[in-house]
Amino acid sequence: MQVNVLYRPSQTVAQVWLQPNESIMAESGAMMGMSTNVDMQTQSGGLMKGLKRLFGGESFFRNTFMAQGGQGEVLLTTPLCGDMAVLDVGQRQWQISNSAFIASSTTVDVQTQGSGKGFFSGAGLFILGTQGQGQIVVGSFGAIEPVNVNGELIIDTGHLVCWDANLQYTVGKSSNAGWIASYLSGEGLVCHFQGQGQVYIQTRNAQEYGSTVGRMLPPVQK
Amino acid sequence: MHTEVKHNPDFAAVQVQFQQPGEQIVAEAGAMVARDTAVQMETNMRGGLGSALKRKLLGGESLFQNTFTCTQPGQTVWIAPAPEGAVTQIDLQPGQEIYLQSGAYLASSAGVQLDTKWQGAKGFFSGEGLFLLRAYGQGTVWFSSYGGIHVVDIGQQYHGYVCDTSHMVAFTQGLSYHVDKVGGMKSLFLSGEGLVCRFSGQGRLWMQTRNPGALAAFLQPFRPVQRSSG
Repeated sequence: MQVNVLYRPSQTVAQVWLQPNESIMAESGAMMGMSTNVDMQTQSGGLMKGLKRLFGGESFFRNTFMAQGGQGEVLLTTPLCGDMAVLDVGQRQWQISNSAFIASSTTVDVQTQGSGKGFFSGAGLFILGTQGQGQIVVGSFGAIEPVNVNGELIIDTGHLVCWDANLQYTVGKSSNAGWIASYLSGEGLVCHFQGQGQVYIQTRNAQEYGSTVGRMLPPVQK
Repeated sequence: MHTEVKHNPDFAAVQVQFQQPGEQIVAEAGAMVARDTAVQMETNMRGGLGSALKRKLLGGESLFQNTFTCTQPGQTVWIAPAPEGAVTQIDLQPGQEIYLQSGAYLASSAGVQLDTKWQGAKGFFSGEGLFLLRAYGQGTVWFSSYGGIHVVDIGQQYHGYVCDTSHMVAFTQGLSYHVDKVGGMKSLFLSGEGLVCRFSGQGRLWMQTRNPGALAAFLQPFRPVQRSSG
């Protein structure tokens, strides 16, 4: 599998070249185009696995694309404008913010993290974790920037793409001055990272964008 | 005339520099960014009411088009599409045709003819409108995409290509397509991939890297809710 990242940084597309019988698993709805010899299968990975993923904020279903009878190509894209990164999984395992996941090698297992801290964060932060060996493709809203954590770093949950699974983190309020001050700061919830490792951040926050534009749209009649 | 597409792929605009009086550019209503004051602008329903209505109703284009005519050498007109994205310039020779998805047409030089083409029932299921706009003749045509543009040459590197209907922008006349689902029946409803165009033949296909429907779907849950009283 070879992934070429085209049209960076804002109109990015992942061009995935598959060897014969090789496959890639992609987020539902990400396929923009493909060569005619690629076969797509939709899998929920069993009801419980699918439900768990739904709680993780991911789509219930994922699609597996397999090249048949020759090399194949799949083009993957994101709904919003932004960049992508291809990361190796194996030596290093990753935790991924749910909305950033685009695709993974079929040799990488991507699971919703069971821990409650992501789930109850209230900032739409649902976390996926990798296991196994291969590659993942992640996408950002806005530009993508790798940041090294050496000791401690605070990052807004809405700006997280993915991070080294070796890093410890807690989800909490942004300000030490209490919940009201934290709310008024407009910073909402943050991830407090500790340890040594890399975090990929995105320069725009999809939730902020959605609520800024969304409130100008005509109301839904209920 | 000298033309240049600037600021691709994010915020493209076309700069047209006329060289001789009488040279003309036709552009979609609202596409003009700037022009020299002495450039003559005329608003009309190109090809008469019937043809314009057909373009509007069937091809998704505006009812009106503006024609910009040069009166002195060196005059300039700037043209840009409404959404962010790229602009592609195609120089057509006699006998060449390209088909544009509704809404992709931006502008053309005077020798280019536009026509809507019935796509049969397959257009109905594509969700992209029943008609494609057909551009032919001799001259230059500009079309826009939402997001960047990705080119696939079918018949050379690829034997055919599968393109999500909402990412299809344009293709040359050597290609034919049919609208199809990907995967099995389960995939049709659950894959999130919707319908695709399966292209075959020999020619060039242009795809857009984003699609406005996906942006609208992202924004939909953020709309305020108004509860009806009583």
